[in-house]
Amino acid sequence: MAPAVRDLIAAFVLLNGVIGVVTYVTLLERKFTARMQSRIGPYRVGPHGLLQPIADALKLMMKEDVVPAMSDRWVYNLAPLAFLLPCVLVFGTIPFAPGLGLADLNIGLLFFLAVSALEIVGLFMGGWGSNNKYALLSAMRAVNQIISYDLPFIFAALIPVVLSGTLRLGGIVEAQQGGWYVAYPVIGQLGFLAYLVAMLAAENRVPFDILEAESELVAGFRVEYSGMKFALIQLAEYAHVIATSYLGALLFLGGWLGPGPGWLGAVWFTLKALAVFLLVTWVRWSFVRIRVDQILAISWKLLLPVTLMLLLAAAFVVAYQGGGGAA
Amino acid sequence: MPDLEARKVIELGYAGNERLVMNMGPQHPSAHGVFRAILTLEGETVVGVDAVIGYLHRCHEKLGETLTYVQYPSIASKTDYVAAMTSELAYVLAAEKIGQIEVPKRAQYLRVIAAELQRIASHCLWLGTWCMDMGGALGGGATLFLYCFRERETLLDLFEALTGARLLYGFHQVGGTRYDLPAGWAERCRSTVDLIEKRIDEYEAMLEGNAFFLARTREVGVISRELAQEVGVSGPLIRGSGIAYDIRRVEPYSSYEAFDFKVPVETGGDCWARYRVRMVEFRESIGIVRQALEGLPPGPISSRPGVKSVGQVRIGKGETYARVEGPRGEVGCYLVADGSAKPYRMKWRGASFSNLAVLPHIVPGHKVADVVAIMGSVDPVFGEVDR
Amino acid sequence: MPRNRASFWSELAQLTTAVGKTMGVTLRNFLRRPVTIHYPDVKRAYPERFRGVLALTYDRETGEENCIGCRLCEYICPPQVIAVEMLKAEKRNYAKTFTLELYACEYCELCVQVCPTDAIIMLRTVDLATADRRELLLDKDRLHELGLADEPSWATGTRLRDMQAPPRAVKA
Repeated sequence: MAPAVRDLIAAFVLLNGVIGVVTYVTLLERKFTARMQSRIGPYRVGPHGLLQPIADALKLMMKEDVVPAMSDRWVYNLAPLAFLLPCVLVFGTIPFAPGLGLADLNIGLLFFLAVSALEIVGLFMGGWGSNNKYALLSAMRAVNQIISYDLPFIFAALIPVVLSGTLRLGGIVEAQQGGWYVAYPVIGQLGFLAYLVAMLAAENRVPFDILEAESELVAGFRVEYSGMKFALIQLAEYAHVIATSYLGALLFLGGWLGPGPGWLGAVWFTLKALAVFLLVTWVRWSFVRIRVDQILAISWKLLLPVTLMLLLAAAFVVAYQGGGGAA
Repeated sequence: MPDLEARKVIELGYAGNERLVMNMGPQHPSAHGVFRAILTLEGETVVGVDAVIGYLHRCHEKLGETLTYVQYPSIASKTDYVAAMTSELAYVLAAEKIGQIEVPKRAQYLRVIAAELQRIASHCLWLGTWCMDMGGALGGGATLFLYCFRERETLLDLFEALTGARLLYGFHQVGGTRYDLPAGWAERCRSTVDLIEKRIDEYEAMLEGNAFFLARTREVGVISRELAQEVGVSGPLIRGSGIAYDIRRVEPYSSYEAFDFKVPVETGGDCWARYRVRMVEFRESIGIVRQALEGLPPGPISSRPGVKSVGQVRIGKGETYARVEGPRGEVGCYLVADGSAKPYRMKWRGASFSNLAVLPHIVPGHKVADVVAIMGSVDPVFGEVDR
Repeated sequence: MPRNRASFWSELAQLTTAVGKTMGVTLRNFLRRPVTIHYPDVKRAYPERFRGVLALTYDRETGEENCIGCRLCEYICPPQVIAVEMLKAEKRNYAKTFTLELYACEYCELCVQVCPTDAIIMLRTVDLATADRRELLLDKDRLHELGLADEPSWATGTRLRDMQAPPRAVKA
């Protein structure tokens, strides 16, 4: 089989897998948060709610696609796709097990971070094209926030790169065979914490979800979308969260390293990613959100200096220990 | 009514330097009811608030003229539907004042128990909805919202065992109360308030030191002492601004003078101060309920016979103003009686109506996100505002 | 933002403990049993005095209708949802028609309170959800049907009036 065809099939399988996982992760989140709130999540649709995501997807597909009258048609209609594309594209670079990854680029992390930052374009397109002041306000806040938090996010993600000496995601995992980076004294734990905080903000998760603040801006830039376009945007958001959870598990929690045969690594990896996701969800459902100016203050005055210092510390440690491998 | 000419300018937009006019419309997840606030924004900062009310007007004051003294207490619950007991109490107190009708001691204690339990339930709702406004329906706010409602449900179960209804009771009648305690209710009440006291500790643990919560509520929506007195706010708003004014102390009604409770006062005037006032009120109300249950005297629950017909209660000529300390502030009823079975005129002083008047003074200068925090700490209920 | 290094660390420590406490509360609630009741498979236990759907009753001994068509309930109802026509007969009066608009009823229990013969009562159930509002316009037959079908609430007119003023023999 020609490699191009093989890659195409692999990409198709991955895409469907991602969509399936993301849909069921929404159910996991709903059950998890329901238990935290003394209630049961979805229960009646299928045994213990297992068919709920499918019911939701079907419902969204059948909904009327309402397009606001004075919206900028091309921008409005293309925004969900422009938002979805980067969020799903990054899954291509993640190695799920040794050798089981779509494209283990040797600039994997750079590709991931760069492409995931492109979602802002789709977001702003949605906010602008909706012809809605709430959406516009939310989009402006979003651009502010995501750009501000991408910097600490990148610096936190670079700490494992410095410690391992490679940008290739598979290489970072292999370098953790001696010990996960989160167990690294001080730099590992603080780096993981900084990564989580930056991830919360770059994903617009509470406490940093000011841009979709349901109680003020009623769904933010998504407010004018309904039906399948809304489904695409939801999918993109959750896919992005899962992607960064996978990245966090990869960078700090050892990726597919774990006891057992090689192919079990994919299972360990998914479990670790879900653990990161549940941790993020736990934070999300415990805190109130903070205002946008406070969010920006935290980013520029706290998180950025901290991650820079950690990165420098990591660099010093590596240089002191005689340097890591070639970049 | 705002100046129509100025209104036109605002609605055409762009009055100067790139101002955006945004409508936090009557359909809004955190409008606390149906409330329209036309915000004028410069970027993220609010520079003007134009409040529009009246979406929930149901002609209560006209109903007061067409319904008799026997029928209206059930309807009075619907003004402040979150704290129904205190609304009914204001009306029957006014009628009893004019008619010089004495209320037996047991009925007074029962009224106190009902009013204080209602205050706890109302504050549970306040805390839940406020945190939900600030934290989002899909976020930590919803968690606290569901916890508060879980506690409120236990209180509503108590009311259900007492009257049969969960939200709108019809508990008060002119001359006393309509229901007496069923068997085992006092024990159940005690264990419920014990549970709630423990849960309030949990909420405080969740919110007190929380830097996010502090950042959202400190220095936000400061009502200065002078402004509070000028505008005529009442309840936790005025006590959060340093003035110790509680109608249960100033003009005790229904034997409140027999109870020992603290009136919490904070001087900050911001959302945090009002939060602290209400959290202390939680505990004080629990204390009052315990004292009332302990000292509940035996006896009749009404000085008038049971209601047998619609025109049974006739109040002689006179007019008076009776007020109670509701969870939101001073709820007052001005009643003009003319000797028949119906009042000649009845006017409600809604606590939330007067409290909302403070919004155009304290909101400008804050960000959009603060508007919901301030609205939540003012805690309006639009049944009271629009009547 | 903190001004000096010492207050920075102490604020950070405070923030960490506060975050830990909040997440601890959430975790504790995660381990508690949910309070959900699986309605309609499991029904909540309604209390004795529950104000449910309205119904008309028959006399327990004679099997006759209790309602004498006196219209007291019609006059006292605040939203005026009851309409009664009296039918005169030799020994006692009856209600010729009795309509109750349940969709507008406030469930205030005033009609129950004033009924001299305990004819109209409330039931300990509210399971009358329907897709057609006309089913909630209850006529006399339907009201009697409901009265036989479900469990009545504790409150009848006599009991409520006795509660408000004890009978003369036991004056306190």
